[in-house]
Amino acid sequence: MEQSRLTASALVINDLRKSFSSPAVDDLSLTIRTGEFYALLGPNGAGKTTTLRMVAGLLRADAGSVSICGIDAFADPIEAKRILAWVPDEPMIYDKLTPLEYLEFVSGLWSMDPDHARFKADSLLEQFGLADHADERCGGFSKGMRQKVALAGALIHEPRLIILDEPLTGLDAGSARQVKNVLEDLVAEGVTVIMTTHILEVAERMADRIGIIAKGRLIAEGTLEELRERASAGGMTLEDIFLEVVAGDTNAAPLEAGLSNADGAAA
Amino acid sequence: MSAGISKSALSHFTHHEVRLTWRDWSWLFSGRRNRSTNRALIGIVAIAGVLHLIGYGVLNSFFARGGELNQTAMAVITVTLVLSFTMLLSQSLESVTRAFYARDDLDLLLSSPAPSRDLFLVRIGMMGVTSWLMSVLLIAPFINIAAILGGAAWLAGYAVMLAVAMVATGAAVLITLLMFRTIGPQRTRLISQIVAAVIGAAFLIGLQVVAIIAYGSMSRFSLFNPEFLSAYAPQESSVLWLPAHAVTGVGGPLLALLVIGTLFFVLSSYIGATQFREIVVQALGVSEETRKETRTRRAFKMRSTSGALVHKELKLIGRDPWLLSQTLMQVLYLLPPALMLWVTFGEETQISVIISPVVVMAIGQLAGGLAWLTISGEDAPDLIATAPVSAKSRLRAKVKAVLVIVAAVLSPLVLGLAVVSVGGAAITFAGAMTAAACAILVQLWFRAQAKRTMFRRRQVASKAATFSEAGASILCAGTTALLAAGSSLAVIPACLLIVAMFMTWRMAQGTVEDDMTAFA
Repeated sequence: MEQSRLTASALVINDLRKSFSSPAVDDLSLTIRTGEFYALLGPNGAGKTTTLRMVAGLLRADAGSVSICGIDAFADPIEAKRILAWVPDEPMIYDKLTPLEYLEFVSGLWSMDPDHARFKADSLLEQFGLADHADERCGGFSKGMRQKVALAGALIHEPRLIILDEPLTGLDAGSARQVKNVLEDLVAEGVTVIMTTHILEVAERMADRIGIIAKGRLIAEGTLEELRERASAGGMTLEDIFLEVVAGDTNAAPLEAGLSNADGAAA
Repeated sequence: MSAGISKSALSHFTHHEVRLTWRDWSWLFSGRRNRSTNRALIGIVAIAGVLHLIGYGVLNSFFARGGELNQTAMAVITVTLVLSFTMLLSQSLESVTRAFYARDDLDLLLSSPAPSRDLFLVRIGMMGVTSWLMSVLLIAPFINIAAILGGAAWLAGYAVMLAVAMVATGAAVLITLLMFRTIGPQRTRLISQIVAAVIGAAFLIGLQVVAIIAYGSMSRFSLFNPEFLSAYAPQESSVLWLPAHAVTGVGGPLLALLVIGTLFFVLSSYIGATQFREIVVQALGVSEETRKETRTRRAFKMRSTSGALVHKELKLIGRDPWLLSQTLMQVLYLLPPALMLWVTFGEETQISVIISPVVVMAIGQLAGGLAWLTISGEDAPDLIATAPVSAKSRLRAKVKAVLVIVAAVLSPLVLGLAVVSVGGAAITFAGAMTAAACAILVQLWFRAQAKRTMFRRRQVASKAATFSEAGASILCAGTTALLAAGSSLAVIPACLLIVAMFMTWRMAQGTVEDDMTAFA
């Protein structure tokens, strides 16, 4: 039973805590199932990025644990990183490298078989509409192209868990559609995707489950329908629910059902 | 009405430029941590105080001997002025290139209703003022001490430095425009950055080369020998000594320099400002970064994680003209010792005593720059940190990248030296590698994630790291020179080096950021 629960969870976060001058993540617990598209929402400064940076091994946690596909990420970070990909909101690529060279570098970091890596690189560049720019240096690329190169870099090593921090910010409609299609295909293949976004329509349309975080705590979680049911009135959009939940938390009147469900999910 | 708007806009813009310049200075002298004016002023006063002491030490004996403006004194002043000019030209070339190519606020300026010619006139003017202030900061203590010891007439040095700064800024504008018109916007960016980096060092190295050829000495001061000057320097009445006379306050030469400097500056600024808009539009339209690499459908190469990192570092440095020119500048300082080795080849078995400290110093500086680039200057830190590689392996790979380049630069010199003296070559190699190791350690201890474009400011970002790096290089050079001379005194700088490195390590404790080091 325990074994089946672990393998069914792509990410288990327990009592995660991080403080800077004040608590940024406060005893946060969260479980995300394998093959799930999970959207993490929250107002600015809610602790979304801090949480995900700790999961990706970019920030040391003060307390708590993170398990990625059954691997303790704090005890065995190298193995955890092997199956994880992180895409930050600002695409971090090298201006002086071409997309193809960038992908070759990433595949080297993940010690991939060169032939397979080359095949994957060509296929990803094609998928993202970058094939014609494969040999151009990235320095002159638009934000959208840079984001797509970064995403291709994240996908080339075939991760089982992908964490994306605001991946659609600044993308034009065409690029955003390309990225969304790729993410949907990945989820269909059984890859787990966690995404933070301020574009609530994207979460509404794409996410299997949605978590709402405020002041470093998970204050609501569930499918869109579940969140709607728990909200004060039916037929609400995600934006309405989000604003109600966040406002409720600020006014010390949390959405009870959502809160208890979130706690339950993390337990 | 429009004249009113223009005047008001210009006044605002001038105020804006002055504020930006001051903030730049404040950042420079307060060590980036604090924006407070007091801290910046304390920094400036402290540096000026030290320089005044040095100035007194240098000039006291000259004025004690009567302060006569003989040929040697004129040569020293002229060489100092030429040196200042090359340094200012180098700095101005970089400023002008950045003004053309760095996007910063250009979109805002070009889309504003204020006349772009006047805006850029203000900007060029500020470049001239900044150049002058920068040179004054370094030269002022010497002028002040000369005025105290030799009379107020020496204060004319300030006016001469103003003329030099104006000529240097004007020349930088014209050189950049000329390059733009002749070789195009794409190449101008590359060439001007290289010229800017090399030009400052070129004069100093040139003097050393002349000293080696004329005297077989690496000391530039041998050129101020009266015999050498009477044989090769111009007569005392020569127009070439005008700037030296102007520095001492002689009215005619001083006025002539100021008039020439002002006219040249005004003319070049006007030419630059009238063409600025067109040039900037062209420069922003052409992106060097969109260059296509040779299209090859080659297979990916099998590389280890560390191999991938080393390959990436070498490729990035090789493709960045600015970084390459900065690196090249360190390598340039190795040319005089190489020439010295060539000139005295076979005659001097103790040549390593002369050469090794210079090589060690240059390699230490080169390694420091490269170590910053590979360790701190990472443009995709998240990618590297989320790769399935331990923090130690990452750092090892980055250190390896530095050592590969250092070894490639060092090897030819050491091999050449080994033909004359195997022992000397071994000592030089060991000293240079120790200096490189110290520089790398300092960068490791003080590592702080930054964009590669911050390389220009790396030395002001952490003064402790900069001083530690320079101190370690000097102590390594001293140890190596004494070892090469067979002196047991080498143990003194060697011990000091150990103490200095220990103190640096203690100082660096707790300065490394928590971010990026998780799971180390």
